[in-house]
Amino acid sequence: MLAQQILNGVVSGSIYALFALGFTLLFGVQKLLNLAHGAVFMAGAFIAYYCVIIGLPFWVGLVFAMIASGVISIIVELVAFRQIRKQVDPEFPAIVSSLGVDLILINIAQNLSNTRVLSMPFGTFPIEFYNIFGLRISLLQIVILVLVAALVGALVYYLQKTSFGRQVRAVAQNERAAALLGVSAASVYRQTFFIAGALAGVAGVLIGLSFNSIHFLMGEPYLLYAFVVVVIGGIGSVPGAVVAAILLGVTQALTKAYLSSTLSDAIIFSLLFVALLFFPNGLFGRAVLSAGGDRK
Amino acid sequence: MIHFYYSYQPVIDFFLLSLGFAYSQQIALRAGVFSIGTAGFAALGGYLVAILATRTEVPMWVIIPAGAAIGALGGYVLSIPLARLRGAFVAIATLAFVKVIIALALYFEDLTGGAIGVTNIPRIMDTWSLALMALLVIYVNWSIGRTTLGRIFAALAQDESVAASLGVSIRRYHMIGFMVSGAIGGLFGGLQSLYVYNIEPNAFGFAFVVTILTVVVLGGRTTLLGPIMGAGIMAILPEVARPLADNRTMVNGIIMILVITFLPRGVGDTIVDAVRHRWRQRRGASRPQKQEVADAVASD
Repeated sequence: MLAQQILNGVVSGSIYALFALGFTLLFGVQKLLNLAHGAVFMAGAFIAYYCVIIGLPFWVGLVFAMIASGVISIIVELVAFRQIRKQVDPEFPAIVSSLGVDLILINIAQNLSNTRVLSMPFGTFPIEFYNIFGLRISLLQIVILVLVAALVGALVYYLQKTSFGRQVRAVAQNERAAALLGVSAASVYRQTFFIAGALAGVAGVLIGLSFNSIHFLMGEPYLLYAFVVVVIGGIGSVPGAVVAAILLGVTQALTKAYLSSTLSDAIIFSLLFVALLFFPNGLFGRAVLSAGGDRK
Repeated sequence: MIHFYYSYQPVIDFFLLSLGFAYSQQIALRAGVFSIGTAGFAALGGYLVAILATRTEVPMWVIIPAGAAIGALGGYVLSIPLARLRGAFVAIATLAFVKVIIALALYFEDLTGGAIGVTNIPRIMDTWSLALMALLVIYVNWSIGRTTLGRIFAALAQDESVAASLGVSIRRYHMIGFMVSGAIGGLFGGLQSLYVYNIEPNAFGFAFVVTILTVVVLGGRTTLLGPIMGAGIMAILPEVARPLADNRTMVNGIIMILVITFLPRGVGDTIVDAVRHRWRQRRGASRPQKQEVADAVASD
């Protein structure tokens, strides 16, 4: 029973990792929070749902949702960040403008779905279970684990081994210096937003499918989970985010199973607040947080 | 005038309530804390007042300040872990705080009534008492602006490192910012309970957070006029155009983006700045030696 819960936690944690990676990547590059990331996630789930509804196979819907979420994320950058970045102190304005885009996307989704909770039609994904070492694991869970591993691997390869990845890291380190060396910051922002959005879109589809519920407000809790992951795992750290997300998934599965499902989120956030008291730099010791002024 | 009052009374009351919440939101921003936790403070105050008013015989003059006190306590407790967080992350952390409060309200059904909430709260607030409380909050905000505390807040909001180098304890003053924000939020949460008969957890969700933030961004984040303008416009907007009321979420979003992009200081702050600027120019022309003094005062 315990091992089963841990397995379920690892699977949902791996989806959180996908979502949180994009979130932390964006923050690492532009030093501004994107509160519309949850809405992009929700948009991914909606797009895949409507693809399946009009009769396309699930895989096509997944790929289409991935690309479309990436494009939506680019639009988010254009509307919420392009102008704001020029302001003297863009930190708070960016919170406001990205929240604004978030609200617009939520409202569109609300009108599309008439405020209903949607769910993928029965049989969208084959329901099969396997027994491995006494654990029940579904085909969907196996596919999720493989897909997440592949996407995270691709992201690491992209960031570490390609010229684009080096440009992204250069802009993250110092935008001005990168610009002097001929790196186009605008193109780097577009790319990172596309990648983050695509990852969020896939995460949205997977969450929508595994919990069988797609809702216009579904993005909000995941934004908070991403925050937990970033604080624990460290900003911009890919391994930190993956470990923290899986830790979060397991903690959540265990609190839901053994304590209370109503209070599960409250317990997780309270644990985070307590953790902040004892590990001010996050659990992985990166200087994420600072009591002093390091605004710039 | 009387006719005007009766037909628009709900709008005026809504304006006064959101004015109070807006000052709670604004004082945090004035102290350089990116808190959007006002909804959580309002829920704390609202529930305490609702429970005390329906289950005990405690007199009102104790109950209402108790709402403010629990809000301040919430702000104090919240500020301790959040002192470690960097600027923008405080925003999400306070959103998580709101979620925790709502989850607790849903869980402790015996006390809070769960999803149904507390009903049959005596309605003792009317427009005039709400207006009186709003004036009180405006007075408190005005006095804070006149004291050292206000100047320290302004310094923190402009540049934390400079403030720290001048010997200001960031942690201590952010804590005070949280507590004042919590007290005002708790007070108005309580007043809202005593005005609308009932209280339920989802009233303090994402929509509440966003509405109050829109009011402050639209109005202005530093001046007293800001929340008045913001709350005023947001109260009148649905009356002016019905289609806007149906898509309130989207209207909020569009206002937030447009204002923060093209009028980043908000309507109220921009007006105050323009008036101050003209006033200073006129004074400067007649008495040039006062210019420096005026600048020094303004830069506080």
